[in-house]
Amino acid sequence: MIHSRQVVFYASKHGNTEAEWEDGAAAAPADANGHGPRFAVADGATQGFGSARWAQQLVAGFVGDQGAAPDLTANALYHWVLDMQDRWRDDPRLAGATDLQRIKQANVGSFATFLGCELRDLAGPRPHWAAVALGDAVLFHVRDRTVVTQFPPIPADGFGSNPDGLPTGSATLADMIGRASFARGDLVAGDQLYFATDAFAQWIAATDLRDRHALWTTLAGLDHPDTFRRLVADQRAAREMTNDDVTLMRVWIDRAQAAYLVVCL
Amino acid sequence: MDRYRQSVSRSEPGCVVILLDRSDSMKLAWGRTGASLAVGAALAVNNILLDMCIKATTEVNAPVRHYFDVGIFSYGARVNTPGEGVESAFGGVLAGRGLVPLPELAEHPMAVREEPSIDLMPVSARMPVWVDPVHGYRTPMCQAIEVAGAHVFDWAAGHPNSFPPIVINITDGMVTDSPHDGASLHDWVKRLTSIETNDGATLFFNIFLSPFEVAEIVFPSDPTGLPAPGPDLFELSSPLPQPMIDNARVDGYDVQPGARGLALNVGRSTLLRVLQIGTRVPDRPR
Repeated sequence: MIHSRQVVFYASKHGNTEAEWEDGAAAAPADANGHGPRFAVADGATQGFGSARWAQQLVAGFVGDQGAAPDLTANALYHWVLDMQDRWRDDPRLAGATDLQRIKQANVGSFATFLGCELRDLAGPRPHWAAVALGDAVLFHVRDRTVVTQFPPIPADGFGSNPDGLPTGSATLADMIGRASFARGDLVAGDQLYFATDAFAQWIAATDLRDRHALWTTLAGLDHPDTFRRLVADQRAAREMTNDDVTLMRVWIDRAQAAYLVVCL
Repeated sequence: MDRYRQSVSRSEPGCVVILLDRSDSMKLAWGRTGASLAVGAALAVNNILLDMCIKATTEVNAPVRHYFDVGIFSYGARVNTPGEGVESAFGGVLAGRGLVPLPELAEHPMAVREEPSIDLMPVSARMPVWVDPVHGYRTPMCQAIEVAGAHVFDWAAGHPNSFPPIVINITDGMVTDSPHDGASLHDWVKRLTSIETNDGATLFFNIFLSPFEVAEIVFPSDPTGLPAPGPDLFELSSPLPQPMIDNARVDGYDVQPGARGLALNVGRSTLLRVLQIGTRVPDRPR
């Protein structure tokens, strides 16, 4: 039996307040039927309306916080996103919307890149992860400070040009779901899974080419939100990282269960 | 170093200034629209302002974000102090104001009323209005650039790291006040476009309206063969920076190297599209 334990780091775009972070990240342990654990990150479109709510609803829904979690099939994801869209549109907070906000909600809506992952067979003979991705949020599967799998396999100079993601409108949803990528990878104790939204993922992909040993040592050693934010601020200042909302979820795969819960205040 | 790459944010907002011709010739009917050039231009300006407000609207219970400071300066007939000259074209609470932050603009349209579709579809919609159609007198374009330039200069000094100011001139006629204060129209434009931020020089684009239905020319890369006053306006217009070339190509325009921010003889819907391309700056640095 192997176990997982996770931590999420995030930082909003420089110049924005922390409350304006428009990514989402969520994790949940295995459910009563033994499915999971699950992890998800999403990146809401800056130019959309209600993008933070959309991104955060998608990740919460994927890990099972809003009804049944979807199976990792195109058909199941399609019907699940339709349900998410209904919930996003019917959010009671919209009762106070202004005319401009109603126009934007109706005519523009929102959009989010999405990466969801489920760990399977952790007590069985072949523990592995299975994931779905739409857009440029990326899973890095790392073993011994080396990337075993990058999913989706976007090169460092290929970020920002991928138009895929999950929309709040139904017109393009079927087409988008048809473009979803699926992947899986075998796990062993000691592995790490890193889930990152685009700006941080791009930085990882570029830095991995230059100095992977230092990169993965640094990321494995992140132990406090302030450490993460300093790293992000330094890389932005050096123009090595795009000024965008960033999210990194690190999942350790271990033979031992987590012994304690750390809360950083 | 790449220029024109700064993204627009509340910490580094952008600046958009529209110079709106309100000379007497703007009373002419615009092609088959049945409405005047002045009516169509005001409709396009109100539409682009609404577009900008909508883009900066991100969530319920949150204010419109301060992504831009916006100025609309008219030249020709004045409203606030009747006669010929240059003034802020804003009406209502914003009358007389120079550059207005986008959240304030969104808060204070002069009216919300039924307006026709910009693309002549037989529909109308209630929308906010900031600028009314007005026409009269001659075309003091040099003065307009002088007035706008003073605002742009102060703005650039206060926002050295922002995307440079974008000034878009909408006109149907020939300048009537060149030379003004000892300087020709070319000189005034040169002064305007010498105002810089660290991300580049002020951009000056021109949109020429014609009452006649003739071929539209959008973002030409060569002045040769352009109908009058195309060659002159070509020389005055800034080259399109790469982000706007990308915008134009996404919108289906075959933009060639060396293309200028110039559109000639455009219809109403093209006017709005050119305004949209010219005011869409990088979402994020790359």
